[in-house]
Amino acid sequence: MSISRRKFLGWVGAAGLSTTIGKSAAAATNKQFTGYPKSFAILHDITLCVGCRSCEAACNTVNELPQPEKPFTDLSVLETKRRTTTTAFTVVNKYDNSKGDQRPVFYKKQCNHCLEPACASACFVRAFTKTPTGAVTYDSSVCVGCRYCMIACPFEIPTYEYDQALTPRIRKCTMCHPRVVEGLLPGCVEACPMEALSFGKREDMIKIARERFRKYPDRYVEHIYGEYEMGGTSWLYISGTPFKELGMREDLGVTPAPQLTGGALSSVPIIAGLWPALLVGIYAVSKRKEKIAQSEKEQVLASVKERPDKSEIEEES
Amino acid sequence: MVKGKSLRIGAGIFVTIVILLIGLMSSFDVTALSKAPDDPQQIMFRPDIITFDNMEAFGKLEKTKAIFLHDQHTDALEKKDKDCMVCHKTENGRMSQKFMRLKDISREELTKIYCDNCTKCHNEMIAAGEQAGPVKCDECHMERPFIQSSRVPMGFDKSLHFRHYRAQENKCGRCHHEYDEKGQKLFYAEGKEGTCRYCHKEKPQSDDTAKVISMRFASHLACIDCHQQTLAKHMDAGPLRCAGCHDAQEQLKIEKVKNVPRLKRGQPDNVIIKTGDPKGRIARMDQVPFGHKNHEEYTDTCRVCHLASLESCANCHPLAGSNKATKNGTGISLETAFHKHGHPSSCTGCHESKQEDKNCAGCHAFMAQNRQKDSAACLRCHMVPLPERTGELSTSNAAKMARLMPQLWRETFGPIYKVDVPKTVVISDLVDKYEAAEYPHGKVFDAMVTKLEGSKLARYFHYEDTTLCLGCHHNTPAAGKPPRCANCHDKPFNENYLFRPGIMASFHQQCIGCHQKMGVEKYIGCTSCHKEREKES
Repeated sequence: MSISRRKFLGWVGAAGLSTTIGKSAAAATNKQFTGYPKSFAILHDITLCVGCRSCEAACNTVNELPQPEKPFTDLSVLETKRRTTTTAFTVVNKYDNSKGDQRPVFYKKQCNHCLEPACASACFVRAFTKTPTGAVTYDSSVCVGCRYCMIACPFEIPTYEYDQALTPRIRKCTMCHPRVVEGLLPGCVEACPMEALSFGKREDMIKIARERFRKYPDRYVEHIYGEYEMGGTSWLYISGTPFKELGMREDLGVTPAPQLTGGALSSVPIIAGLWPALLVGIYAVSKRKEKIAQSEKEQVLASVKERPDKSEIEEES
Repeated sequence: MVKGKSLRIGAGIFVTIVILLIGLMSSFDVTALSKAPDDPQQIMFRPDIITFDNMEAFGKLEKTKAIFLHDQHTDALEKKDKDCMVCHKTENGRMSQKFMRLKDISREELTKIYCDNCTKCHNEMIAAGEQAGPVKCDECHMERPFIQSSRVPMGFDKSLHFRHYRAQENKCGRCHHEYDEKGQKLFYAEGKEGTCRYCHKEKPQSDDTAKVISMRFASHLACIDCHQQTLAKHMDAGPLRCAGCHDAQEQLKIEKVKNVPRLKRGQPDNVIIKTGDPKGRIARMDQVPFGHKNHEEYTDTCRVCHLASLESCANCHPLAGSNKATKNGTGISLETAFHKHGHPSSCTGCHESKQEDKNCAGCHAFMAQNRQKDSAACLRCHMVPLPERTGELSTSNAAKMARLMPQLWRETFGPIYKVDVPKTVVISDLVDKYEAAEYPHGKVFDAMVTKLEGSKLARYFHYEDTTLCLGCHHNTPAAGKPPRCANCHDKPFNENYLFRPGIMASFHQQCIGCHQKMGVEKYIGCTSCHKEREKES
């Protein structure tokens, strides 16, 4: 079938129209998700952490992870900066302190359990769920191993079991979701001897943080990291040292990741769903036209049997 | 035809790529230029940098400010056996601080004076085959100077003041002066001396009658002039080079006199700080006896407390706050002036800053900063006259009260800390992974008492023998046996008591926190307090 100029322009116009419909549909929403009400959060007061690694040990036990090479009582591990791995969902790192008594500071790193997780929005099989407890959980049974979540996460938290040939999973902190549902504290929080980790309702954690700022203004940088970062997280941090010096990103902004991609992505189903229908429709219409034209032609041909030359009328004339 | 078209497309792509590449490269160049000054190690720090900014008075500058290294020039001239007069003119026997002139006249003239004279001398030296300074514009007017100032401010402390006082044969008038408006000259007013900065501010001040030169100008005029004259008489004198006063290392070399005699300015030994204002309005607080002489020992200059003048506080700070700025107090009430948290000049601010001392921080670091003290604490300063002395200590007889004060204080100073405290406390609430901790309660208490007794201030404010106990046993009455820690600190994260740590954290925060603050590094690890418990099989 040869495509005529008119047909082609018609398709292009229809395709253009369909994308604009998609966009306006996304812009019409004014919903803002500020987290599940009464969801839990953990407040990490970096000024209180003494770097004992009890949280790491507890995390290891609770999640039944393999024992590391060096025991958790070996504090020499703190001398190198570490990141989360498939067998360590949380790590404590040691940083120099530019403020106060120059005593080193310790910062515990794990999944921040965003209120609107980037990992979940990037996952096209919905392996991640933001649960009402605050935890972002992962379901390995549906995971296809695309690792989009690892790219999407602004905190570089999810890790992938590259060494598992057949059943590789994404591994990350679960905020001890199974324990929390049972009314227990997350393993790390329970183990912390200094209460450098506090657990409770997110609103209450923010209240505690503000109270500490009020009581000890000289001790803290007056900012709750995670209150608004990336639209807010269920792990909150307060510190005496600027967060930047602890390797925490300060360039993330306050917009949740899904909102940044939502506009563009929301038009995907519309384009993906409408385009074929539209194109097929246009095709059918033009096909019908052709059919009608053909039958008319035949009628004309039949009526003027004697003059075959006239049948060579150009379709487009 | 087709071939021509593909050629044109090929050419188009090529041109686009070239343009993109050029764009990219030029953007790299720009980032290289806008980078911060080079390697920080290449930046030189000197205390003697003078930035020529006189021209600013005539409008916007055409070039960047020239940088001048004063000491380098002084040294160079000295080597050639030349003196300051090569660059500075004199007027009425006093050397002008300006370069080759007495006054700034016009932009053109200033430009000429600097450019001509600097380059003339440098050129002469170059001609003579010597090492010389710049002769090109941008070598003085540098876009990105590689030399930065390390100048530290200079001021008199009590020791330096005393050394000058001794050298000037107790003649205060050689430096201290007032301005006589009628005679338009400076004169010495005995008993009215104050620090230079009361009149000579950072920038020159002028009103209808008089013009007060800036502190910078005044100090260089007076100090250097006198040092020069003293040196001319072949006597020991203070520095002439910039570094002598403004270099951090050189400052440390300035001789310190121990036991500096008290300044003589007619200040009282003890004063009664009245809580009313000069207009006779009365505050309903008792007056505060203040040991002026004692406090002099703790400060290095009068300016620590007397910010703007040596007059009494109420002269500038009104009893009631005011919308309008007063002469020096900028409308700050007397109450604020005395009680402002965090201000080194207020009573409360200064006293609170002492709590950051290692010996005090163990307890005080846990207490909320800038908190309102309980009303009983007011009475430590606002003293109610003792009943048997009401007659003697009547407010009308302030001088007499001041005389009696030392005796009065002795009675209130330093209770004897003889509290019956347990020697050892076994903390067994949390035995699980670790054994019970044996806490040497008595030893810790004794150590704290020793530290406390070393400080007069601490003795004065820990007035009850149980005040000390409140450091750990907080939120309980000072008297009697305190409740056990576990009575209040129960399970962690109790929603009813959001701000109260749980039992385990309460011990760890208190013990480790105090040890950290007081520098008791020995007992910070887990097993230094409680042994690891052997696992039951």
